[in-house]
Amino acid sequence: MTAIIMDADPGVDDLAAILLALASPELSVLGVTTVAGNVPVEASAANACKALALAGRKDVPVFAGCSRPLVRAQIFGKHAYLGAFPDHVVPATDKRPEPAHAVSFIADAARQAVASGTPLTICATGPLTNLAMALTLDENVKAGIARIVIMGGAFTALGNRAPWAEMNMLADPHAAHAVLASGVPVSLFPLDVTLQALVEDSHLQRMREGAGRAGRALADLFQLSDRSDIDRYGRPGGPIHDIMPVAFLLAPELFEMRHAAIGVETGDHTMGHTYADFSGEAAAAGSAEIARRVDDQALLSLLLDRLETYASKNASTAEIRP
Amino acid sequence: MTSLPIIIDCDPGVDDAIALLLALASPKLDIRGVTVVCGNVPVSATSRNALQILELAGRSDIPVYAGCPRPLVVAPIYGQFHGVGGLGKTELPAPSHDVAPGHAVDFLIRQLEHALAADQQITICTLGPMTNIGVLLRMRPDLGPAIARIVSMGGAYREAGNRTMTSEFNMLADPHAASIVFSSDIPIVSISLDATHQVMATPERAQRFLPYKGRVGETVSAFLSHWDRNDPRRYGSRGGPMHDPLVTAFLIAPHLFETERARVFVEHSSPLCLGQTVADRYGKSGETPNVDIVTKVDAEGFFALLEEHLARYSPVEA
Repeated sequence: MTAIIMDADPGVDDLAAILLALASPELSVLGVTTVAGNVPVEASAANACKALALAGRKDVPVFAGCSRPLVRAQIFGKHAYLGAFPDHVVPATDKRPEPAHAVSFIADAARQAVASGTPLTICATGPLTNLAMALTLDENVKAGIARIVIMGGAFTALGNRAPWAEMNMLADPHAAHAVLASGVPVSLFPLDVTLQALVEDSHLQRMREGAGRAGRALADLFQLSDRSDIDRYGRPGGPIHDIMPVAFLLAPELFEMRHAAIGVETGDHTMGHTYADFSGEAAAAGSAEIARRVDDQALLSLLLDRLETYASKNASTAEIRP
Repeated sequence: MTSLPIIIDCDPGVDDAIALLLALASPKLDIRGVTVVCGNVPVSATSRNALQILELAGRSDIPVYAGCPRPLVVAPIYGQFHGVGGLGKTELPAPSHDVAPGHAVDFLIRQLEHALAADQQITICTLGPMTNIGVLLRMRPDLGPAIARIVSMGGAYREAGNRTMTSEFNMLADPHAASIVFSSDIPIVSISLDATHQVMATPERAQRFLPYKGRVGETVSAFLSHWDRNDPRRYGSRGGPMHDPLVTAFLIAPHLFETERARVFVEHSSPLCLGQTVADRYGKSGETPNVDIVTKVDAEGFFALLEEHLARYSPVEA
């Protein structure tokens, strides 16, 4: 079983990633840390609490993290108007974030992982501010992290928040640079691959009908934030970016990965742009790999199959409302 | 007289060591702790050096907390004038104490939380790169009001840089952390190369510490002779600039200093000017001034203050 921390900015597709991870016996989720990104950090922490309650896993602690990027001016996601998930879609909960800071939790967990000799995996689906800060605190933090799996970047695909940049990289490019340059092994899931798997109406219907209250909430949120763009994607459906790094931990065979030397631009004009060199010694020597292709049908089947375990958990979600 | 509660965040460092010895000799300052950071030397060495200096001063009761071992975004750089271990050629006894458990940033957070709850404020002195304070402010922006002000050694406004053409070492070593601090609402006193190059520890001035036969006087004399840049073309005389000691001197004897208010920006993206401090004295930026930049120092007054304070250490027979 792989011990993971989910560092996220829920966010609709973050919610999908959290539900997928919690439905997977291969993963032990030590905690969910949140950051400002899709929404302000108070909303992302509240949404993480709601996500865990929805999954019937209020035992998993939530830690609120950084409220703004390291140095650049703050931006939020395209769907930031959603803010905290509405109660009629994702029920209210009495679960609250723990008092400790997300950066402290990540650093402490990594130090303990060093002590116990079992390094952690971090699954990052938001801006990388918390991770950059944790890696700055203490060399043991780096030593305690086996791998960071990240949703972020765009190499051959155009960006989604700017023509040249993907949202998570654009929102805190300096933090992204710090993480990518840290030497910690990284698996990156950029738009190039996340746009290969689109959630269509038939998938949402299966979620709504077969995955209990969690599935209904996720399907409703997808419809609240219309993600389809037939002009861009050439077919109906919307991307579900953040499930990719979780799915990789469950079924790496679904992804074609390539080693690369990668970087992110922190300058003014193309801030947040990610670049990769797939050739030569730099790529071979680097500690990063980038997802190039995904088996989209198998991926969506994996998601829907795992979400169906929530159908039988409906009874346990009855305790959500205090 | 109530003493001023301060935390000294530093990277000792020869001049940090003198700054600490000056502060430790003043009843005006209540040093709550010393936090160290990667800077002149790696953080393992700055930790050891801080412990050694506190023991030299007979003040092992003050805790030392190890902080960040690297800057936020850029790769680490180290100082050039501090010798291999960070204290020049001086060999002090191995410290009998260890650093306090826990991280420097956690210590800062705890102290500031207590201060905030008690409606008090703490002054923070920064003698090195601002990594610990940058991390603190990004983790806990709510604690800003508990900081009375930050008195910082760093930057260069009218002077050229000392590590690159434009940039002073502490700013260059972590320009992103510096930018976080200077873009906050916390009042800052900036002691830059503009000030420190006015206060040269010439060989004549260094001699003044020799009569103090105790270990502190001898150690400071050794520090100052190691510190001599021997570059009159640059500095107008022999000797080394008294960078960090001006921070603690400012808190003890502010009448020795003249300041000018300005908004300060720190360059963090230009390869040519990385770490440059840019002062807006005339409202060009439209931003509210947030920094008192030290423009003039009474150098003779400073050395008299240092001599008088170091004389307070009772001679210890070796």
